[in-house]
Amino acid sequence: MHIFEGFLPSPWWQAWFVFSIPVILYGMYRLNKLVNERREVVPLLAVAGAFIFVLSSLKLPSVTGSSSHPTGTGMAAILFGPAITAVLGLIVLLYQSLFLAHGGITTLGANVASMGIIGPLVAYLFYRAASRSGMNFYLNVFLATAIANWVTYVFTSLQLALAFPAPEGGILASFLAFGAVFATTQVPLAIMEGALTALIMKYVIQIKSDVLVDLKVLSIDKATKLREAMQ
Amino acid sequence: MTYILDDYAILSPLRSRNNWLKLAIVAFGILVGVSASSPLVPFTIALCMSFATIYFGRIPVKFYLQILSVPSGFVLVSIIVIAFFFGEGVDIFSFSLFGYTLGVNPEGLNMALLILARTFGGMSCLFFLSLTTPVIELFAVLKKAKLPDSFVEIAMMMYRYIFVFLDVAMGVKYAQTVRLGYRDFRTSFRSMVMLGTNLFIRSWEQGEKLYLAMNSRCYDGKLIMYDEKRPVKMPEILLTGAYFTIVITVFWFTRGMSLI
Repeated sequence: MHIFEGFLPSPWWQAWFVFSIPVILYGMYRLNKLVNERREVVPLLAVAGAFIFVLSSLKLPSVTGSSSHPTGTGMAAILFGPAITAVLGLIVLLYQSLFLAHGGITTLGANVASMGIIGPLVAYLFYRAASRSGMNFYLNVFLATAIANWVTYVFTSLQLALAFPAPEGGILASFLAFGAVFATTQVPLAIMEGALTALIMKYVIQIKSDVLVDLKVLSIDKATKLREAMQ
Repeated sequence: MTYILDDYAILSPLRSRNNWLKLAIVAFGILVGVSASSPLVPFTIALCMSFATIYFGRIPVKFYLQILSVPSGFVLVSIIVIAFFFGEGVDIFSFSLFGYTLGVNPEGLNMALLILARTFGGMSCLFFLSLTTPVIELFAVLKKAKLPDSFVEIAMMMYRYIFVFLDVAMGVKYAQTVRLGYRDFRTSFRSMVMLGTNLFIRSWEQGEKLYLAMNSRCYDGKLIMYDEKRPVKMPEILLTGAYFTIVITVFWFTRGMSLI
């Protein structure tokens, strides 16, 4: 869910830049380190970012009839980890605002915070914790992506509520109002995206599971086990 | 997915103008618009920038209105929430729903109008940039801004591959549609999954090929860009100056003013 250009008033759009920039700098530092160690990751990350962009510009079949797009960042976080996803997310959001008229420049900080940082971070932490506890891989991917989407939407509602608190009931009241209004599209959307990502993972394991092993998403034994279960 | 603003930018007559001038115009509009306290300022900016985009940039009016409606869904929903929940004072109108009284007061309505105007002002600035400046031109700017090489490099390759994959995605989607792949909810979901998987695997293989291809051409982590020199011409300075003056005048005269 993008916040559009000009929507956030003055102290808030700067505040979200202050929040996002250190994370992006850390992500760039990690990226530089990774690139120095393994040069082949530059083209791989570039195509991964392009993949996220194209995935997020596809229209999901929607129940409510509104136009809804997957965010794709939950999947990126599972594959590449949150720090690099933040950098990729920054580029994707910039391109979305320039190519598709989604998002904006002053609100870029806020959008990076919700879609590039908080959502993916929660997805990544959930995925790691759940896979250590031995949860079924597909269920885990489904939940991690759906949760990433929900967290993103809740966080965006919070950003809007902080910028526009209600006089009665303050931030909480307007947070609930924004949350309730956007829930109608975001709750089914998150479920759709989770299911989509889990099924994509299933096919990827079937056809090219070594990619997931390379990215340390799955250990070798786990990948072979999942492949055997399919036959 | 049916349109990409960059397609128009590449053909734009304003493409050959100085990038920094265009960036300055856009940055000025966005910053003044977001810090204005009266809806008239962003409204003026929106008018000027839309005129510049349509008249100087030769963008079809119908297409321009169509992209301007992209943010409207999100914006309308949010400003309705703001109108109802923001501000204090006597309600202009109100109704009750499930025992709660919902009302709109002048302060809330003003805020909602201001946000609406700001969004359209900001979006029209952004459209000016994206409909007249292809992203290729902006890479030189990113390099000058001393961003890390790996970041700019990834951004550049990503730019290229967005178009490759969009082509693939559109082709696959078209093929699926003619085979009734988007007939109902179930089939469209299945088709989406297949499309997503194929894109992922194909992009992965493409990435490996790209690495090999670039490595065999002595890629050392740096693509050199040609940064064309484009001096700013006098009429451009005058027009920009006139635009800045108009906006600042409106900004000055509408300080602390509200519509209602």
